[in-house]
Amino acid sequence: MTCEEAQELITALVDRELLDPERSSLELHLQECAVCRLALEQEQALKQAIGGAGERIHAPSDLRHKIVSDQRIFPDKSRSARRWRDYSWPKPQLAHPALAAALVAIAILTTFLLKPRDQPVSVAALETYDLFLRDELPVRRTEDTDQIVKELTRAVGGHFHPMGYDLTAMNLRPVAGLVREIDGRKILVAIYQGQGGTLFCYTFLGSAEDAPPNAARFFDAAKKMNFYAFSRGRVNAVLHREGGVICILASEMPMEKLLALAQSKAKPS
Amino acid sequence: MIHLDHLYRVAVHLAKDPTEAEDLVQETFVRALAAHDQFDPGTNMKAWLTKILHNFFFDHYRQRKRWISAEEIPEPESDYWERLPAENPGPESRLLIKELDDQITAVLKRIPVEFRAPIVLVDMGDFSYDEAAAILSCPVGTIRSRLSRGRKLMQQYLQAYVGIPQEIAKRK
Repeated sequence: MTCEEAQELITALVDRELLDPERSSLELHLQECAVCRLALEQEQALKQAIGGAGERIHAPSDLRHKIVSDQRIFPDKSRSARRWRDYSWPKPQLAHPALAAALVAIAILTTFLLKPRDQPVSVAALETYDLFLRDELPVRRTEDTDQIVKELTRAVGGHFHPMGYDLTAMNLRPVAGLVREIDGRKILVAIYQGQGGTLFCYTFLGSAEDAPPNAARFFDAAKKMNFYAFSRGRVNAVLHREGGVICILASEMPMEKLLALAQSKAKPS
Repeated sequence: MIHLDHLYRVAVHLAKDPTEAEDLVQETFVRALAAHDQFDPGTNMKAWLTKILHNFFFDHYRQRKRWISAEEIPEPESDYWERLPAENPGPESRLLIKELDDQITAVLKRIPVEFRAPIVLVDMGDFSYDEAAAILSCPVGTIRSRLSRGRKLMQQYLQAYVGIPQEIAKRK
């Protein structure tokens, strides 16, 4: 190996990207060539200096403010806040600037995970499932089922109410509730958890057209009702309509089991 | 804020000045939101954001060829690295580190972006060759050769600092 041939290999060695047989060949050359050994040391020193210079570069605080206040990134901030508002319980006060900064980070992440507004509201609603599992959903837990139903119903002015399903037979109990607003439509979210896993029950005013276009439709002849099955990632969901109210059950449980559950709980209009 | 420092770090070495770097980062977040459905959760968000930043830069700024002229690079001091203690730097050493950082930044801006971009990604962003290749949409071999050539250029400019013997500099 010539010194010229060694140059690129030295670069890869410095970056720990050199594999055999090139690595072995270079190491043999380095044992014999003091000039290339020095070149290796110099390149390692340069890489370290560049890395150190980078570590000491931080985004100015003004840039953080510009991004947070950019309407293209956080459109209509006042409305955004309402979209995620937990109507049932007071929001905790920010006690420390560091907490506020952390929440900004979460907000960025959350915003990245939001789907476009033109997707079906039923699919958009499912995003709360993942956010909840990652503790990024502003809910306050309670074991008081009646309180969840009462507060959610009050949040929509009594126009409709959550389904209030009793799922104790499946080892699932209500643990929290919140109201999510998507494109001006309020969606009640009752969250069940237990040994049976996690299940979300979404309730909102709508029609069968709120089912995603690609949902699989199942007709229950006994109840004369349609059920629409769809998925988002690992979350399965079954939608059905009771009058003017849409109900979506969402869970990671198998689709067949979720569909059977929805069919057992659904009440014909 | 997620990866903000990293994105700014990359942007400041692409843009002509800090203001343009800030615009670049801000636009990156806007574009990332617009393309969020293309992001696959669980994959490398840092690399994804960096690719967006690079694409935007090359689409909108590249044609302007905003290289800093050689006249803007401060004159180096010959025994600079020898005067740097390895650990526990005191006030004087911190000044020297700051001076070195400024030199690194200035020299990086002096070399063509084709060589600068992989150096910033690999040395400052800790990206692998594969990740850098994906971000810059080029083969992995190109990353390696450009890193090698780019560092050679930097070493030539920083020669007085790192004390590279002339014969090595010439060979490189």
